[in-house]
Amino acid sequence: MKKLEKSDCRFPSTLKEALELLANESTRGRLLAGGSDLMVQWAAGMEPPPRVISIKGLKELQGIKEDDGAVVIGAGVTHAHIRSSKPVQKHLPALAAAAATVGGPQIQALGTIGGNVANASPAGDLAPALLITGGEAVVASRTGERTIPLTKFFLAYRRIDLKPDEMIVRFVLPKRAAGEIEVFRKLGTRAAQAISKVMCAARFSVKAGSFETCAVALGSVGPTTVRLPKLEEWIIGKSASEETLAEVEKRASDEVSPIDDIRSTAEYRKWVSGRLVRFLLES
Amino acid sequence: MSNVKRTWNVNGEEKTLEFPPLRRLLDVIREDMRFTGCKEGCGEGECGACTVLLDGVPVTSCLVAAGQVPDGTQILTVEGLEKTEQGRVLQEAYVSAGASQCGFCIPGMLMASFALLSKNSRPTEEDILDAHGGNICRCTGYVKIIEAVRLAAQNWPRK
Ligand SMILES: Cc1cc2nc3c(=O)[nH]c(=O)nc-3n(C[C@H](O)[C@H](O)[C@H](O)COP(=O)(O)OP(=O)(O)OC[C@H]3O[C@@H](n4cnc5c(N)ncnc54)[C@H](O)[C@@H]3O)c2cc1C
Ligand code: FES
Ligand code: FES
Repeated sequence: MKKLEKSDCRFPSTLKEALELLANESTRGRLLAGGSDLMVQWAAGMEPPPRVISIKGLKELQGIKEDDGAVVIGAGVTHAHIRSSKPVQKHLPALAAAAATVGGPQIQALGTIGGNVANASPAGDLAPALLITGGEAVVASRTGERTIPLTKFFLAYRRIDLKPDEMIVRFVLPKRAAGEIEVFRKLGTRAAQAISKVMCAARFSVKAGSFETCAVALGSVGPTTVRLPKLEEWIIGKSASEETLAEVEKRASDEVSPIDDIRSTAEYRKWVSGRLVRFLLES
Repeated sequence: MSNVKRTWNVNGEEKTLEFPPLRRLLDVIREDMRFTGCKEGCGEGECGACTVLLDGVPVTSCLVAAGQVPDGTQILTVEGLEKTEQGRVLQEAYVSAGASQCGFCIPGMLMASFALLSKNSRPTEEDILDAHGGNICRCTGYVKIIEAVRLAAQNWPRK
C-alpha cells in the first residue's frame, strides 16, 4: 500500500475542472470513483498509476432524474442509492434488484454505476439490467458530449468505448412500458459478496397469451455481457406456452458461448443460461 | 507526493490530519489516529472487519482513499460506540447473547449492526441478514450474532 501513497491525486471540484485535467496529457490520471474495484486491484499488487483524479462526490455525476420516457442516472450514483430509488424501483426494477445484489452494504455504499460499467467485467451485475432497457451512456470530454447505445458500449473483455480524455457522465434508461415485466436473477455461490456464475435480466410483455416484446441479457457467459437478439426476435408472437418455453431454453443455451474458469464450467453455464432465461420468462 | 489535510469529527472529537491522498482510511484510523479497534482482515473489501461509519453509512475502510473523505465528515469507529446510549445497548446485547468468540470480526459486525439499528430499529430477519452480508465471521456461525442484533433491537432506546 505504501506504493499507492506515492501517487499523486487531484480533487477537482467541478466536472469541467476534471475534464480539463483529463484533456491534457501531462495532468491526465486514472479516474477514481468509489474505489471498490481500483483499491482492490492496487491492494492485490497492481502497479498504481503516477496520477489519479478523484471524481467522487462531483455534483454533476450525482442524482437520479426522471423525464417522460426515461430515468437518467448520474455516473457517480452508488449502488445503495440505486436500489433504494423510487423511480428506479418503479420503472427499472431489474436494475434495482441488480444493485441490491452487488457485494454487501459497505460495497454498495462505495461502488458507483459508472465504475461498474467502466470496469466492464463480464461478471458485472448492472450490465444485464442496463442492456435490457435499450438505454444509452453519455460520455463527456472537454470538447463536448457523445451518446452511445449501451449495446455498443461494451467492446471486449474489460473494454468500453471510451477515449482517454473522456469519462462517463450519465446513463439514459428508457422506462419499461405499461404491461412490461422486468426480472433479474443472479446465480452465485452465496448471496452477499459473491461474484456471479451467471446472471440474467429480462424485460418483456405478454398480450393475449403471446409474447409481445422481449429483451434478454446474460452476464458471465462470454467476454462481455450480451443480449440474445436471435431469441428475442424468434419469440415475438409466440404463445406463452410450455412448448415455447422449452424451445426458449434450448435457443438461449445455443446462443451463448461461455468459458470455463475458476468459478464454473462452460457446460454448466450453457445449460444454466437456458434454464435461467426460461425461468425468468415464466414469471 | 504532497499530502492533503482533512478535518473530520472522529468519535465525537474534531481532528485535523495530514496524509498522502491515497493512504487507506484504514491506515489513517489505525496508525495515525491509533484507533486499533478497527481491524484489517483481508484488505480487499471482502471481510468487513475494517468497517467504520462515514456520516452513519458503513464502508470498508480498507477500500477508501482517505483523501476522498471530505472535511466535516463524521467518522465513527468501534471506540466511539460506548460513548452513546445506543452503542452501550448494542455492546450489552452482544455480550449477553455470547455473540463473540475470537472477536476479530466483532468491531466490524458492531458497526454494521449499529448502522442498521440507527436507521431501522425494528428490522426483520431479512433486514438483519442484508445489513451484515458484508461481514464475515469464521467462528460463530452467525446465529448468536443475529440473536444479539435482535436483542439490541428490543432494547433500542427510541425517542
Ligand atoms: C467485496 C466486493 C464485492 C463485490 N461484489 C460485486 C458484485 O457482486 N457485483 C458487481 O457487479 N461488482 C461487485 N464488486 C465490484 C465493484 O464494487 C463494482 O464494480 C463498483 O461498481 C465499481 O465502482 P467504483 O465507483 O467503486 O469504481 P472504481 O474502483 O472507483 O473504478 C473502477 C473503474 O472505473 C473507472 N471509472 C470510474 N468512474 C468512471 C467514470 N465516471 N467514467 C469513466 N471511468 C470511470 C475507473 O477509472 C476504474 O477503471 C465487488 C467489489 C468488492 C470489493
Ligand atoms: S479488511 Fe477491509 S474488508 Fe477485509
Ligand atoms: S468471532 Fe471470530 S471471526 Fe467472528
